[in-house]
Amino acid sequence: MTSLTKASTLSSEDISVWFGQRQVLSDVNLTFPANKVTALIGPSGCGKSTFLRTLNRMHELIPSAGLSGSVFLDGEDIYGEDFDAVSVRIKIGMVFQKPNPFPTMSIKDNILSGLRLSGRKIGNAEELVETSLRRASIWNEVKDRLNDQAISLSGGQQQRLCIARSLAMDPEVLLMDEPCSALDPGSTRRIEETIKELSSSMTIVIVTHNMQQAQRVSDQTAFFLADDNTPGGVVEFGATEQIFNGPIDQRTNDYVNGHFG
Amino acid sequence: MGTLDFMSESSASNPAPVRRKLSAGPLSTGDKWFFRSTSIAAYFSFVLVALVLIFLFLKAWPALQEQGVAFVYGTTWVAEDGQPLVMQIGPMIYGSLLIALVGVLIATPMAISLAYMIVFMLGNRLAKVFTTLIDLLAALPSVIIGLWGFYVFTPVAINWENTLHQYLSWVPLFQVENPENAFRGSPFIAGWIVAVMIVPIITSVTREIFSQLDKDLINGALALGGSRLTVFNKVILPTSSGGVVGGILLGLGRALGETVAIFYVLQISFKINWGQLLESRGGGVASWILARFGEASEGEISGLMAAGLVLFVITLIVNFVANTIVNRSQPWRKN
Amino acid sequence: MSFAPRPAVQPWKRANNARRLQIILAAIVPVLLTALVVMTSGLDANLATIVVFLPLQILAAGLVGFRAYGRRGIGDALLVVVTIFLSAFVLVMLLSVFFSVLSEGSRTMSLQFLSQNNVYISNTTSLEYGGVANAILGTLLIVGITTIVAVPLGIAMAVYLTQSQSKLRGLVRTVTQALSGLPSVVSGLFVLSIIVTFGFTKSGIFGSLALFPLMLPTVARVAEEALKLVPSDLRLAALALGAPNYKAFFQVILPAAKSGLITALLLGLARVIGETAPLILTVNTNNGTSWDPFNGPMETLPAYVYGYLSSSFTSAHQRAWGGGLVLLILVAVLFGSARYLGRAKSMKSKPTKQKASK
Repeated sequence: MTSLTKASTLSSEDISVWFGQRQVLSDVNLTFPANKVTALIGPSGCGKSTFLRTLNRMHELIPSAGLSGSVFLDGEDIYGEDFDAVSVRIKIGMVFQKPNPFPTMSIKDNILSGLRLSGRKIGNAEELVETSLRRASIWNEVKDRLNDQAISLSGGQQQRLCIARSLAMDPEVLLMDEPCSALDPGSTRRIEETIKELSSSMTIVIVTHNMQQAQRVSDQTAFFLADDNTPGGVVEFGATEQIFNGPIDQRTNDYVNGHFG
Repeated sequence: MGTLDFMSESSASNPAPVRRKLSAGPLSTGDKWFFRSTSIAAYFSFVLVALVLIFLFLKAWPALQEQGVAFVYGTTWVAEDGQPLVMQIGPMIYGSLLIALVGVLIATPMAISLAYMIVFMLGNRLAKVFTTLIDLLAALPSVIIGLWGFYVFTPVAINWENTLHQYLSWVPLFQVENPENAFRGSPFIAGWIVAVMIVPIITSVTREIFSQLDKDLINGALALGGSRLTVFNKVILPTSSGGVVGGILLGLGRALGETVAIFYVLQISFKINWGQLLESRGGGVASWILARFGEASEGEISGLMAAGLVLFVITLIVNFVANTIVNRSQPWRKN
Repeated sequence: MSFAPRPAVQPWKRANNARRLQIILAAIVPVLLTALVVMTSGLDANLATIVVFLPLQILAAGLVGFRAYGRRGIGDALLVVVTIFLSAFVLVMLLSVFFSVLSEGSRTMSLQFLSQNNVYISNTTSLEYGGVANAILGTLLIVGITTIVAVPLGIAMAVYLTQSQSKLRGLVRTVTQALSGLPSVVSGLFVLSIIVTFGFTKSGIFGSLALFPLMLPTVARVAEEALKLVPSDLRLAALALGAPNYKAFFQVILPAAKSGLITALLLGLARVIGETAPLILTVNTNNGTSWDPFNGPMETLPAYVYGYLSSSFTSAHQRAWGGGLVLLILVAVLFGSARYLGRAKSMKSKPTKQKASK
């Protein structure tokens, strides 16, 4: 059994985000403790996914992107001089909204693709493939067809494959951008169970539109909001139980009770 | 608790429902003429291709009949007065293939580099400028490239050939019998000129494919820790390989038919140039036709027609394969 | 949440000064070293570029990459250097074509060159006499006739491919694509065989006929793309209002695709305007001016260039360059118009590319 990296604490300090001259996020201060699942909720367009992308330095891939503030992984600023984007992404993995397995590769090759792409050595390939697929709760379904094309899987299976692919990199943090929004309820349920299992070995941050999902999987929740023409930001942040059952801010109350959004 | 009630009901007592015929056809007489005339127009391609093949074949038949299958692979061409006509285009077919191959080999790396740079390295404005430039260069008439090839490029290329010969003459490709007579009008020069002609085509197709790649795939690769090189090797190239190969074959098709651009540059001589790129020997079918037709007798014209027919068949096959590959690798472009 | 407007920052671009210096050195040093080698040892410049400059540049870039990003930096640096090198190489060649036509051709260019024909001009006549006026006229006439037939037909084909439900569409598209691979010389041979079979005399109209199979597939393809860009909702809306198909097409779809169809016309024109071989095989040249495409010889720009290039006199070649420049200008104008129309249309119908993610 390969040893798993200890989970790390991720935190953002005064993160503000621009696209060109337009500021879209203002002063986001959040802490994602080790081994906990944090949900980011809020109406469409308030900057949740944009914020998520600042956590693994994917935000800077957009030409007009701008950012101020810091993101600390176990106390070290990932935007500092000791880090480059690739080393950050090796430690902080990401699962996207639409499943994106590499179409020219088999299931097995998809799992190993992260290591190949980042130029890292693969130790025991078979063991790694099995471990990753087990952790993503999909091993039993694909163990007999590891060499099949990845796109022959169903949508829900493809997404779990993508989770396994990220897990193969042994990340300290896993970022998930609405991972179930394109899937049916059955697949959604299985992925939510996987998330809860995974939190014992890593830190997870998940953006979701689905408030029931946030309540089911997360330990803490952050509520984002953006008014017209003002940058988005965090309205309230705390334990999931408290956000949904006893929110402090009226706007949070309105949102979680379905009055808007 | 198996089937739903209404289903078992209907199979027992009611017959299966009658399917109504639905059609999206013409809605009026005006429509009938509209669709009829466009249909007629559509079959024009068929008609044209058929006509070309028929007329060429009719005119080519005497020569083909007389020369036999050796027309395609034989190596003699005698068309003097008072001597029996012998017409065999072996060296010219081989020459066309050789020059086209050299052209494709030179053009492909440059085209893919250019496409990669435009899509993945340049900002929006510069990318548009370069794209426009490439598309304009694809419209350059071949006679202009022939002008340039003859006047401007040949001296430069001869310089290159000299250097190649000086340092690499141990490679069979670069050996020549007599350096005094070599270099000018060689397949090397012709290949370069053909490459210049087809780079815009290959670049255009490749650029189109690269820019339509699913951004999620590339983002996914980057999120896994990919660097420029690894993302290119392991994601971009494999995913776009089908279409790129199609683009290369389109360039090959164009290269095979290229006539005027290399006409001035080649010293057409009727011996097979197997692979000595620097020798001033060899030719191409299209250039041969152009060279001979001016003073050709009726018999020789028949032979030239046959040569054209063979060339058309070859390019038909290459283009058909190319377009099939491109269409299949881009299912979103179909219909 | 606070909202204090602040300047945007791009911390990932914070290359420190040491790295900046490295990058500049890596860009300059190989060039300087290569120049030094060429000047002292007399090594041929072309050879030096490949043998000295390229390896040095790769090495320098690799070092910078390695110091910045470790092992993967080398691979990335290699990719960037090779890509830029190859792209620059091909661009230099293509631009060389462009500029050589411009510079050589402009020496021949003059008002007289554009307005006179070629009667009484021999290969050695001074450049003050004679011109391409008859060639320009011939080109316009011959290509014009081709256009008048090919464009409506090509658009009709495109209409068939996009509007009808026929199962033969795939086949039609395949054959049209196959036709687009027709070598120009074979098209000329085809018409020549018609001329010979029926005993016609070569004249301009046969040149038009030879250009026709070359223009048709281009027009059809671009027109099809233009028609496909019109949203199907427009057609459905017209049909829902009770219009028959042909009225929906002429009154709704055609106007919407107008600029795209004009692009198809212009690109088809640009495709054939410089074709030489078909004309040489089917039309005899004429030093004088001919207005009649149905009888007798007619001069065209590509044939003009071809004819003068075949001679061995430099003054003749000068004329060829001049003709080439005129041809280039024509193609550039056609292409520019097509581009301009295409761009204006795409700004209206396509959504913006870079959307900020939520």
